[in-house]
Amino acid sequence: MKYRDEEKDRRITQLKKGILELAVMGALYHERHYGYSLVRVLTEDGSISLKEGTIYPILARLDRDGLVRSEWVESVQGPPRKYYALTSAGRQLFADLRQEFDVLVSLVKREWAVREDSETTQRKLLLRKR
Amino acid sequence: MNDYPDVVAKIVDDYLDRLRLRLCRIPPREQDEFLKEIQSHIFEAYRRSTDQDETERILAVLRKLGEPGEVVSDRLPERMVRSGARRILPMHVVGGILIALFGVPLGFGGAAVLVGVLTALAGAALAYFAVAAGVLLVSGTLGLFGLVRVYQPALWDTLVARGIIQLPPSELFEVLSPSSQAFVMITLACVFAAVGVTMLWIGKYLIRGLRFLFGMVCDWIRQWAQSARQAIRRQLSARETESGKAALRAVREPLA
Repeated sequence: MKYRDEEKDRRITQLKKGILELAVMGALYHERHYGYSLVRVLTEDGSISLKEGTIYPILARLDRDGLVRSEWVESVQGPPRKYYALTSAGRQLFADLRQEFDVLVSLVKREWAVREDSETTQRKLLLRKR
Repeated sequence: MNDYPDVVAKIVDDYLDRLRLRLCRIPPREQDEFLKEIQSHIFEAYRRSTDQDETERILAVLRKLGEPGEVVSDRLPERMVRSGARRILPMHVVGGILIALFGVPLGFGGAAVLVGVLTALAGAALAYFAVAAGVLLVSGTLGLFGLVRVYQPALWDTLVARGIIQLPPSELFEVLSPSSQAFVMITLACVFAAVGVTMLWIGKYLIRGLRFLFGMVCDWIRQWAQSARQAIRRQLSARETESGKAALRAVREPLA
């Protein structure tokens, strides 16, 4: 049965949503950013495309949970920018989450390898039967 | 401050107005802060875009930013409330007293009203389906009687004689021939069946509506419980930090 495209898109969106928060924390781990610069950093290599506005609910959630702190900084051109940086709690959490993420990634890759093995085994069994 | 051309300024203002409408549930100070942040985003994106046509440039920026609904989605309003400067302690105390005096009893009253309304709605839905089932039962019975009247006249007479089937008091029904009586009953059975099936079909939407309503209420309760739990956890961790600092001071002061 062909998997429906919209279902696939919905699942991809869900997956990205879950990882985006981690990616935001990752970007803020190394340096502080304001909303627009964060979007640019996250999308510059083209690996992820997102509605830029979705970054703000994530930042608000991190702020609410005390994982980032923010401050307004006057800009030479245009309106002031609101800069975000990870708090020490945010940094600690990111380090933990990253470890968990690495474990999950390796798990997903390992499942691939297992599947390939089982396919090979099945093929061998079929050959024996013949 | 932003030095937009007139047409661009108008488009941006319109977008920000639509955004402001979506933010009506959060306090004005947080609204302003969020709008300022989005203003800054629009400015930066506009400044960096390379399109020649100004209108196209700003429209592309807003398209990338997303519709106001998308920008404020994902539980933003409730979550934004906490951001910003901390409130003054005496105001917390006054707020606490006011909540204790009025909020808690009103809260219980509100919860009771909510439970009452939800129960009433569930009861109404149950009654609705009971009526639909009743109508279908009548339809089935009438259809059965119609068939008995045509194919088993002796059984029909017995049932009427024993009073199991009560004929309508009107003489009109008795004047009709047996086949006409059966036709009337089967026609009525079809009408009742159509009404019953339509009621069940409409009931599907009723159930969907109720599920949505119950889901929304459960979501509210879950969100409220979650924010209350987090607030308590924050307070506890703040207290622990304070007590830790006090302990550190107590150790350091004698040394100094």
